[in-house]
Amino acid sequence: MRTFSWHLLIAVALLSACGSGTQPTDELNVVNTEDSVLQADRLKRTRNIFYSIPSPMETAALLQKAGATYNSKILNDVKKVDTYTTASEQALNLGVYGADLSYASVFNHTQESMFYTSCSKKLADRLGVISAFNDSTLELMEKNMGDRDALLDVISETYWNVDAYLKENGRDNISALMIAGGWMEGLYIATQVSLTNDSPELRQRIAEQKLSLVDLIALISSYELDDPALSTVMADLKALETLFADVPVGGGSTTVTQENGVALIGGDSKPSSINDEQLAAIREKAAAVRNSYIN
Amino acid sequence: MLTRNTFIQASMVGAFLLLAGNAQAQCRSFAKNKCVPGLAPYKFNETFNSAQLAPGEEAEVNLTFYSGQDYRVMVCAHPILGEVNWKLVDSNNKIVFESLADEPKPNFDLKVATTMQMKLVVWVPTQGKNEMVHVGCVAIMVGFME
Repeated sequence: MRTFSWHLLIAVALLSACGSGTQPTDELNVVNTEDSVLQADRLKRTRNIFYSIPSPMETAALLQKAGATYNSKILNDVKKVDTYTTASEQALNLGVYGADLSYASVFNHTQESMFYTSCSKKLADRLGVISAFNDSTLELMEKNMGDRDALLDVISETYWNVDAYLKENGRDNISALMIAGGWMEGLYIATQVSLTNDSPELRQRIAEQKLSLVDLIALISSYELDDPALSTVMADLKALETLFADVPVGGGSTTVTQENGVALIGGDSKPSSINDEQLAAIREKAAAVRNSYIN
Repeated sequence: MLTRNTFIQASMVGAFLLLAGNAQAQCRSFAKNKCVPGLAPYKFNETFNSAQLAPGEEAEVNLTFYSGQDYRVMVCAHPILGEVNWKLVDSNNKIVFESLADEPKPNFDLKVATTMQMKLVVWVPTQGKNEMVHVGCVAIMVGFME
């Protein structure tokens, strides 16, 4: 009962800072025109290209499946949240705390999940992303403290809301920094866990981050790099890319077979792997970069 | 005069950003209500790729599929566009899956033997010359089984 009241107190305290946003409707934006010039112009447009970076939740779930353990000591200190004063620091650390939140939640450490939710909310509020953590978010988390799956759903939706809010309000560079911060924290956690909980499966997941690193670099490159924070992040990612250069991943031709209604895509490449030297170098670099973001 | 022009230009840019943001918000709302439920029992991977597309336009995204995971890939288009075409191709551009507008498939469930990237390409079929141009939301959604 005491624990519940304490959680409720946190929720109420955080909710008091919440604002309300206008909910988008489910209507469609439709342009009706018979102007053939406009139509021809649209048809000539270049294709839309997106970059898909694994979310912190997906990365944490992969780590758990790879046999990783939970270690709260490697996560960012919640007390540091008030030291992030610039928008770029807040965006990067919103990503970092978001990854810590996913890691704690996937491994069912709900008490710590609440702390990291609190940090994430503070930073989101300071970035003006008020509507993403709506009034019911913390209440829902409180209500679902004992239901891991429901809790993960709330966290997932909140992450989606924050990212979407930033993009919908022309703040893509802040969104990119948040994604980069989250990705870096995920790599940091995986490489730190490998110090005490090394396994071929975990090494494989670390090696595979080479693929999402390439996508993340492409995502950051799609923005104007006159933003100093983005150009710093880009330099960090490029340095990591060099360390990943000789790590073998994916590629090759594929075959498709059916197995109980699910397509099984086979490839002719071997599972990714990473040797001791490569792992040590990536671990060291990830720690240095991540520490430069949180300190 | 220069100030007035600058003000007008800034207002136009502002109005454009507002409209673009509103269209994206509508697209997200559409995807949340109409598309995410179609991923069940898979869990949405939180990476939302969407665009307002018109007939003749296309979008593409690189997707990473991890070994040992089960996935559902879905392309969800607003009914105003009708059925759209989409395909998943491997790194050699070999078609792994294809759903065409005249024979649409709701989703593609897959798992991969080794972690790999594939490219999803979606394109909206062109319409007749005299038909009105309809712009609609197209969302590319991926779910995974935890």
